[in-house]
Amino acid sequence: MKKLIWFTAIFVLFLVFIVPGILALGIKLIPNGDQPGYDSNRRLSIYGVRAVSQKFVSDKNNLSAVGTSLRNPNLKNKKNIIFNLYDLNNNLIRTSILNGQNVQDGDFTKFVFDPIKDSKDKVYIFNISSPETGPEETTEVFYGQDMPAWIVEYIYDEKIHTGGIPIVLYTKPNSKFEVIKEIYSNWLSRLLHLNSQR
Amino acid sequence: MTTQIKKLLVLAIFLRLLVAGFLFHPDIKTINFQTSFLKHGVFNIYSYLVENKKTLPLKDNFVYFPLTYFTVGGYQWLASPILGKGFDLWLSDAGSNSVVTNSNIFKYLILLKLPLLAMDIAIAFLLMRFFETREDKEKAFIFWLFNPFTIIIIYAFSNIDIFSVSLTLLSFLMIKKEKLILASFLLGIAAGFKLYPLLFVPFLFLSGRNLKEKMLLSVIPLVTFGLVIFPFVSPAFFQSALVSGLTTGIFMSDFAVLALSLLFFYAVLIDKKINTFNYWIILFLIIFSFALFHIQWLLWIAPFLTILAVKNLKLSWVIIILSILAFLVPMLYEDRYMTISLFRVYSTWYDLLPTPFVFIQKVYDPSNLQNVIHSAFAGGSLVMIYKLFKESV
Repeated sequence: MKKLIWFTAIFVLFLVFIVPGILALGIKLIPNGDQPGYDSNRRLSIYGVRAVSQKFVSDKNNLSAVGTSLRNPNLKNKKNIIFNLYDLNNNLIRTSILNGQNVQDGDFTKFVFDPIKDSKDKVYIFNISSPETGPEETTEVFYGQDMPAWIVEYIYDEKIHTGGIPIVLYTKPNSKFEVIKEIYSNWLSRLLHLNSQR
Repeated sequence: MTTQIKKLLVLAIFLRLLVAGFLFHPDIKTINFQTSFLKHGVFNIYSYLVENKKTLPLKDNFVYFPLTYFTVGGYQWLASPILGKGFDLWLSDAGSNSVVTNSNIFKYLILLKLPLLAMDIAIAFLLMRFFETREDKEKAFIFWLFNPFTIIIIYAFSNIDIFSVSLTLLSFLMIKKEKLILASFLLGIAAGFKLYPLLFVPFLFLSGRNLKEKMLLSVIPLVTFGLVIFPFVSPAFFQSALVSGLTTGIFMSDFAVLALSLLFFYAVLIDKKINTFNYWIILFLIIFSFALFHIQWLLWIAPFLTILAVKNLKLSWVIIILSILAFLVPMLYEDRYMTISLFRVYSTWYDLLPTPFVFIQKVYDPSNLQNVIHSAFAGGSLVMIYKLFKESV
């Protein structure tokens, strides 16, 4: 009986104090925040030469991925969706290619690339295209005008508009320890903050 | 209550509060959002939610039965001053991340799970009353309070089936004391929270000693349940609760229905003296063996397995193995809130981690693995059923 009591007590302590740390070991990318809200009725079609470009500012080093919600109506697009990342001088610095077959309609999709070490506070432009597709195999991205300031502007149909695509930026952590520390310190600060539990 | 029992109770409550405060399943918020309308004077929640679906931030129907609405809603009304002003805003927040990053999340989770804690402790004391010797009473108390399975099922998954479970346990205590009429009434009340206790009515009928008693035992739960639901009977109620997947899920499996029918006809034609306790356990072993079950359903059988383990220690290892297998089956559903997302209160970064389903998919078909585990559970359960019939534990 004593063994059972000890086992359960240790199990619970392990579950609430240790498991979150173990799970943190599996985190390879850290998001810069929540995906900005968007109106699901406002969409831009991508097919053939129709592409969309987005200017944004990275707030951290080690930029490693850009994620957004993609529509693939009736899963018609089975061709490549190409993500090209440019610097302000229009130099292509990263490319990420996904096949439409792997993009479910409405999926939040990440374009992952090799980390850019010195990306902090730098302006980038990405372009999403699917040149092998026709109008019946369109892929869609959402857009909106009321985006956070770091989502600067987007280009569609050769016109520049403010706001843009509701994206999330991902950075590669410097070490596993950094992720674990960040998770526990965030949790503890919320738990122990004097004004938090009102 | 001895000093040792008091100390164990304090430890048990401490462990439960840890899990209650730090692990989050969205069911607790959905149910409390729906039951929050009681404090605003809404009586028929089924019609209200269906009629106002367009304007409400959360669109789910209320799938539970009326007594759940009044109990959870009534408690929330009482706890409102402690929950604070921001609570209703949190309930109606449809944002996936803002819900778990809310600064009051720990307070909300603990306060909302306190009724579950009260029922959980009540079950521990009820279990003690099934036994005569002090040793057996303590065993039942410890087996219940210090097994990780029920702690997870109740507090991580915010399992409000515990109201029904505690009433069915009380009902079986009345059966043990040969207060059969009261027992059948309690079963009807339990069904007023969740429908599953009515599954036992046919066996209750068979356990009656004469036709009059048989009729009383089967009619009382049905009438009690009927009276509870009568004011709510409407298309909205049928659509939301009575024929919801949560209620009818058991009957989706042909094998489960076949096996339950076999059990019933065995009781009618072959079994001379029905052991209601064993039939109750067998009923659930059949359901969990052949139907796709929610992890919350495992609580239905848990207190009864505790009694079984105390009565026959040899069976406790089989019960532990079957419990592990039963736990693994729903954990392999492609539902993030079965595993990783329970920890979202710590960090929403866990959203980036693959579920066990996706993780296993890299090397093997997770659905196939789930079938293998489920079949192993069914095999073990069938042997246990055989043992229960043979030895009448």
